[in-house]
Amino acid sequence: MVEIQKVSKSFHKTVKDNTAEIKALADVSLSIRENEFISIIGPSGCGKTTLLRIIDGLIPYDSGAILINGNKISSPGPDRAVVFQTFALLPWRTVLANVEFSLELRRVAKEERTSIARDYLKRVGLEDFEHHYPHELSGGMQQRAGLARALAVNPMILLMDEPFGSVDAQTRQLLQEELLELWQREQKTVIFITHSMDEAVYLSDRVVIMTPRPGRVAEILDVPLPRPRIADDVRRDPKFADLTNYIWDSLKKAMENGH
Amino acid sequence: MNSRFTTNVISIVILAVLWEIAGRTFDSVLIPPLSKIGSAWLRLLTSGKLSANLAMSLGTLAAGFFLAVILGIVVGLLMGRFREVEHFLDLYINAFMSAPMTAFVPVLILWLGLGVESRIAVVFLFAFFVIVINTMTGVKQVDRTFVEMARSFGARETEVFFKIMLPAAMPAIMAGIHLGMGRAVKGMVTAEMLLTLTGIGAMIMQYGSAFATDALFAVILTILMVAMIAMKLVHWLDRRLTGWKAEIAIE
Repeated sequence: MVEIQKVSKSFHKTVKDNTAEIKALADVSLSIRENEFISIIGPSGCGKTTLLRIIDGLIPYDSGAILINGNKISSPGPDRAVVFQTFALLPWRTVLANVEFSLELRRVAKEERTSIARDYLKRVGLEDFEHHYPHELSGGMQQRAGLARALAVNPMILLMDEPFGSVDAQTRQLLQEELLELWQREQKTVIFITHSMDEAVYLSDRVVIMTPRPGRVAEILDVPLPRPRIADDVRRDPKFADLTNYIWDSLKKAMENGH
Repeated sequence: MNSRFTTNVISIVILAVLWEIAGRTFDSVLIPPLSKIGSAWLRLLTSGKLSANLAMSLGTLAAGFFLAVILGIVVGLLMGRFREVEHFLDLYINAFMSAPMTAFVPVLILWLGLGVESRIAVVFLFAFFVIVINTMTGVKQVDRTFVEMARSFGARETEVFFKIMLPAAMPAIMAGIHLGMGRAVKGMVTAEMLLTLTGIGAMIMQYGSAFATDALFAVILTILMVAMIAMKLVHWLDRRLTGWKAEIAIE
């Protein structure tokens, strides 16, 4: 469904007349199935976020191709929506107006977008907070609003950029469970960037392990844990520990070979 | 009302009482007691002289300030948004920012004559640059993630501009308008004193040279009140437009 074929990307960084070329991604290839939950994990600076922005069509890539259902993508489209690490909620809009924002840009009529936004706020448990401003909500609630905004446009593919990276540990676990429930109900393809091994194993069907800069795919790991996954049971499963340990070893190896 | 308002009132009352005492003690034309200023003020008010001149001054102020706000925001937005525009203009804007505006008054007289156009131009020049700089800074400081988020959901350039840049820069724009208002009042009085003797400025010059200090102080107090009311208006507008920002600051 999503085909990433040998995608490479370099940035040019200019510091005092010296232009250096930084290779962010080198020949990244990956196929993602429909309705799959796939995580991408790797050390900081491995280009995970760059890869996500390329898939969203926000930045161009140098070579290779990205196909969604056979069509090459080069700009953002209605089939994809992003959940941002820093939530990216507009502080001058209420929670409801923030969720409506994505629909507004898609030219959905006023009444319709309000009812759609209310519906998704309900699904993420924020129905009582629609008239609040983002700064009045906790980090976890803000990210629920960010998730509602992305889901509201009904994308096929949800691109999540370390979405739970800036909330506390307990909230993070709750959000993970909620996300799995939503994903099971909504039937979406999820591409999930994280640096938490635990999170990657708990959520994903497959985990993509990347090398340090330039980012390459070091390994793709299947997560054969049964679904639906009940957080407490899954984490006590000996296979869960084996898988996280395996990712850790693989990451270490990738980092040692990388430089 | 709150304790701040009470303290404000107490401060004014104390100053007024001290002034009155000083005025009566020295019994000099240089420091007229407040009661005399008050009666001079009433006299000017009932004769219609003050209101006629004030209306004239405020007309100049409103016209010049309105132009400065509209053009200042437009130029500031363009400079903040397009690097080329910024590099093309920032030299002049920065130079004018720190230059003494009164130095340009003779030039304006040559160009625009001694009429109301010149006075409006002075008010405009006093207020314009600070609004430009604040607006530009506001646009440049817009969180890039907001822009990226909007693009990701398919926003076009104009939508990014009106739905992200403009509202995000609004607190900075309002700060510029706030500063610009103060400068505009200065510009108004300067124009009326240096350019053509009209309005409030003319009254100051007239009573000053005639040693009519009670009337002079009455006019000065009127200017202070005008400035204060103008500031309150801007402040009120600011609260209405960027209430979300004020709430963040309180927390």
